[in-house]
Amino acid sequence: MNSEVCQLKELEVEHFEIREVLRCILHTILFHRALGLVRPKDVDLELFEITYVQCGDVELDRKIDDKIDQFIDRVEKHPNKKNQICLSFYEVKNKQATWFTNKVERLYWEQWYINLNVAQHPKGHFGKSHHSKVVVDRGDTAADERSARRAALEASLRDVLFQIIRFVNEKKDHVPPIPNLEGVSFPYEITISSSSDSAFGMDMFKRMLQTGHPTMLS
Amino acid sequence: MDLHSYPQGEHGRFEQILNQFLLKSLHIILDSRVPANRPSSRNGEVKKSDKWFNLALGDRPAAMDSLSFWNRSLMEPMIIDIILVQESPNYSPDHVSSSSEMYTETVVERWTVQYEYQRSMAPQTGDASYKKTYKKSIILLRSVYSMLRLLPAYKAFRKLQSLNRNCDFDINYKVCSFSSPFSRTEEESMKKYSFIPVDAQQGRLLVSVIYRKDLSDFNLDSFVSCPPEIIIDYVGSPLTEPMREFPSTSSEKGARATSFPIRGKQSTPSPFQRPHSWTSGLHRDLSSLPNKPFSGSPPLNRSPYEYSTSPTDIYIHKSQNQRSPSNQRTTFDDLLSPPFSPSPSPSPPTYISGGIPGRLRSETAPMSIPHPMMGRSPRYLSPNLSDPNRHSLPPLSPRNLKFDPSSHESPSGIRLMRKSDSLRSGDLSSGSINSSQKVSRDAKEDSGRFSSLLSSSSSPRVGFSRSSSRLSFQEDFGDLDFSCPFIVDDVDPPDNQSSQNLDGRNSSEVSSQASSTTKKSQDAAVGALVHMLKTAPPLRQDSIYNTSQSSKIDFDGEVGAVSDFFKPRKTSDALEELKVYKEMKDLLLSRSASHMASKEKT
Repeated sequence: MNSEVCQLKELEVEHFEIREVLRCILHTILFHRALGLVRPKDVDLELFEITYVQCGDVELDRKIDDKIDQFIDRVEKHPNKKNQICLSFYEVKNKQATWFTNKVERLYWEQWYINLNVAQHPKGHFGKSHHSKVVVDRGDTAADERSARRAALEASLRDVLFQIIRFVNEKKDHVPPIPNLEGVSFPYEITISSSSDSAFGMDMFKRMLQTGHPTMLS
Repeated sequence: MDLHSYPQGEHGRFEQILNQFLLKSLHIILDSRVPANRPSSRNGEVKKSDKWFNLALGDRPAAMDSLSFWNRSLMEPMIIDIILVQESPNYSPDHVSSSSEMYTETVVERWTVQYEYQRSMAPQTGDASYKKTYKKSIILLRSVYSMLRLLPAYKAFRKLQSLNRNCDFDINYKVCSFSSPFSRTEEESMKKYSFIPVDAQQGRLLVSVIYRKDLSDFNLDSFVSCPPEIIIDYVGSPLTEPMREFPSTSSEKGARATSFPIRGKQSTPSPFQRPHSWTSGLHRDLSSLPNKPFSGSPPLNRSPYEYSTSPTDIYIHKSQNQRSPSNQRTTFDDLLSPPFSPSPSPSPPTYISGGIPGRLRSETAPMSIPHPMMGRSPRYLSPNLSDPNRHSLPPLSPRNLKFDPSSHESPSGIRLMRKSDSLRSGDLSSGSINSSQKVSRDAKEDSGRFSSLLSSSSSPRVGFSRSSSRLSFQEDFGDLDFSCPFIVDDVDPPDNQSSQNLDGRNSSEVSSQASSTTKKSQDAAVGALVHMLKTAPPLRQDSIYNTSQSSKIDFDGEVGAVSDFFKPRKTSDALEELKVYKEMKDLLLSRSASHMASKEKT
């Protein structure tokens, strides 16, 4: 069984955008992978003009929200690191119970890596100024920058969604047979890692070398 | 879908999947692009027919209900055009006749769903093949669903839906088996996305979309949030002072702005200086309509979407007859998750150009101008009109013909408006009078109407057997004889004469007019329609426009002054204005020419 890996394009997000962005991406991936009976539900993002699709599974929503909370906690604890969420789909292979373990083996057949770079604003960036006019100017430019950044993020998020759709279309052979379940048909897990992990760091480094991501190089 | 009707074995299962795939993709696309009136019935038990591909979408859109699916060849591609219709004077050279300048129809998306047969592929054997195909097509449909929300047209759809169609644009659709290619200019503004094909039995399932990258040209946003305003500087009808200068009339914007005063958010104040006073003169205008009363209608002469060939239709017809006889059902059920039990028969989707009628019409006149959808039909009909062997109406089987004597009395277009509730098709042009009348009879069985659209290029298409038209969406079919889908149809493709007779049998004078127009040119059809309009009873009495269409149309003037400004402009008014603009343009050109000449001298 092939295992496919998809590294999604890295996104630069503000703290308050994390939840929406992650929800959007995770739900989109799961919508394409929950191959049981699904009643699709359109959800509009508040911060962006993007509509994504949810499976309409309450349990799934809850799990995703929990994970996002964990991710946000992690980000707050490790503010200056790149953080990554990994959504993996696996098949359960029951191994014969051995003397020591009754291990259930998981065979991962697909892994998605969502890379977020949470922007950290230096404190007091716009707060102090000797001149009120300067503050106003800064405020204006800040507002312009913010909206430019927001627009860029929206475009990037859209790209990520297109990337998901492309990947989902290109790689279909490795998807296991669909069990007769409603909604999410394949077991999955969501893990969070940050760049402090050595493995994570190596991965990131390799990716950086391969793709020459501008943010990494600057 | 009726499993009896599919040949047993692999092939039968695959055909069923293919058929359902086409239906499902059409369902998804229409749901995501064409606002529906009905509330979505998502809660509760999922119907068996909805479980296909594990994507429960709820009830099929009304648009689909009115499309009849006949047993077409599954080899035919299904091409769904999503068309943005806007009222605007359009001087684009693309348009052939001035009558087409009142409405701009732009294909913003073209979806193509087809099964591509590849002889070179070795036939896949074994149970697994169609299962794999099914699984992959589930994924494919999911991605189509997502993609529909990411493309630019989704925004327009949401706007339309949220405003309950109180926009100056409308979204229409058309489903057919083939389509004219885009012009070069159109192609340049469009982008293509092809989903990865799904391998299927001896072929593959292809879904692709060509879409407009950027819809900002259409100014969809600008008409959304304009609150009603009173025009303080009332200018008066341009007819009274044709050469009156409108302040801040810029080159193209100005023209547009003045055309649509109700479109509040124009950058120039001129919109508010153009009154809708002429709405009161509607009837007068109608009677004084020049030879192109339907300029407002989706252009009679335009459209890249013309059906141009009959061979396809004939092929479809023939291939239908060659379908293998139905066989007993196999244990198909066990193998696929969607409901395969005695359940909904599959009838392979048929392609009929459709449209949500009335939507655009609500913006415009109560005139029996071809509805956008039907408006295209005149286009298709035009070949009919000029070709004595073709008919504006596909000859329908007697079962499909329910003559409605009451329809004789009023212009068929208006009459049709009355039926629009059930029909989903708004007014029809005179060119499609027959079809419209028949449509009015066949509310749910649009075979007549749609077949007319499709068979504009050929009559063979006619054979929408009613039974087959019911097939697609009903749950239990049992006895469908799949092998002879046209069994109920009396009309034979080559027998145009008889179909003409069918038309002739329609005792309405309008239809007889219409049938005679089939032999005339397009212009004659227009003339006939004009005549019909002139002899029409006052539109005022028709409250039908309020039914299926937005409530904006109100010719009685009962609406207050404020809302008057939001009355959709009538085609005649637009036509008049267009003339004024032309004159102005000529004047300006002459002035500038003289200015240039004087400049050169100095």
